[in-house]
Amino acid sequence: MSRKIILVAALGILFVMFFLSMEEMEDLFKNDAKLYFFEHGLDDTGSSNLITAILLDYRLFDSLFEAGILLVAVFGVIWISRHDFEERNAHFMLDKYKTPELFVTLSRFVFPLLLMLGFFIILNGHLTPGGGFQGGAVVATAILLLYYINLERKTDISLIVAVVKFAYLGIVLTASISLITRGEIFTNFMAVDAPTMSKYIYIIALDILIGINVALCLWAIFTAFLKEGR
Amino acid sequence: MNDLMWIDIIAYVLQFMLIAIAVVVVLQKNNSTIVLLVVAFSLVVSGLYVINHAPDVAIAEVAIGAAIIPLIYVISISRQREFIVLDRAMDDFIISNNDFTGIGYVLLKRFTDYYHLELNICNDPGLCSWEAGPDKVICEKTNVDLIVSRDEEKGVYQLKGKESSLLMTKLAQMAEDYDDIEVHTFTERGFGE
Repeated sequence: MSRKIILVAALGILFVMFFLSMEEMEDLFKNDAKLYFFEHGLDDTGSSNLITAILLDYRLFDSLFEAGILLVAVFGVIWISRHDFEERNAHFMLDKYKTPELFVTLSRFVFPLLLMLGFFIILNGHLTPGGGFQGGAVVATAILLLYYINLERKTDISLIVAVVKFAYLGIVLTASISLITRGEIFTNFMAVDAPTMSKYIYIIALDILIGINVALCLWAIFTAFLKEGR
Repeated sequence: MNDLMWIDIIAYVLQFMLIAIAVVVVLQKNNSTIVLLVVAFSLVVSGLYVINHAPDVAIAEVAIGAAIIPLIYVISISRQREFIVLDRAMDDFIISNNDFTGIGYVLLKRFTDYYHLELNICNDPGLCSWEAGPDKVICEKTNVDLIVSRDEEKGVYQLKGKESSLLMTKLAQMAEDYDDIEVHTFTERGFGE
């Protein structure tokens, strides 16, 4: 009981600290970077969504390593669960964890809509909130629902990993084209004075590659967890 | 009262909900309830992100926190709590009179109840008649915990499982009372081999 009281007290202190720090956050709203991005973001990158502009152009170096970390996480999960052989799950006589009918029916209805929403978020990363990562996560959710509709579903995890590697290579290469065209690495490959309308080709290409990378990485992690039961 | 103040009130309510959910998650014992509470936490957080003008982060939070993580947790929890038995004997050891009343089923049920596990018996035709698979290989390559088979020469039923599993020791103890049941274990290959 005393441990619970200490826990609640600690959370209470955290809560008070949070409210005290809210006062000081006012300073954060007065920085110049925000104004700079607001003024030049659309012209520099061709993306009306300034978050995407920062992630895929100004701070692309960070985003590359984010995608890389996801890839390394997949390798780690697969290495730990050792799925280098032909996998199969036993067919159950007594399936106590059968998915409820309502959930299966609803999943069948939601699956195409979710897939469409994911592709919409990926392709409109330069216009609406979202982008490669968010859209990829939504597409991955749609794919995962298939496993609840049909638990017997088999996946070749090595094929997914092979595709993910090439997707990541594609991201790095697309980001490096600017070294030839602009003489500057990890930025938009269109010329600096190109019209804004043509600059977002780069944003869309990178969004699609990152979307593929994220969706397949999450799919591989989920499959590894699904097969892990030994 | 203008719109801005309403948003402030909603934000405060969501922040209090966040703390309440966090406390309940820590105090809660049931795993399924915890998963649902984690989902609720993610949804509340994403609502706060939207209020604070970060729709990009909110979409990521909903997709990861409220969809993928609970799906992974549900699978992991259900796999963790089940004890999978492969029935290669295919006679009345497990099922007699079309019901789970066989002597082996009673023993395994008592054993899994002792550890609060869910007993899950499978007789996958593909696995049972798998020529390339001696029992050790089946145990390594599938998610089966225990294999039941019949030794025709000795006329006994054999229960085989991994040596590393502590459960096998207890099962061997429980099976001592039965004359026609033997418990065997085999060593697995080490991690990373």
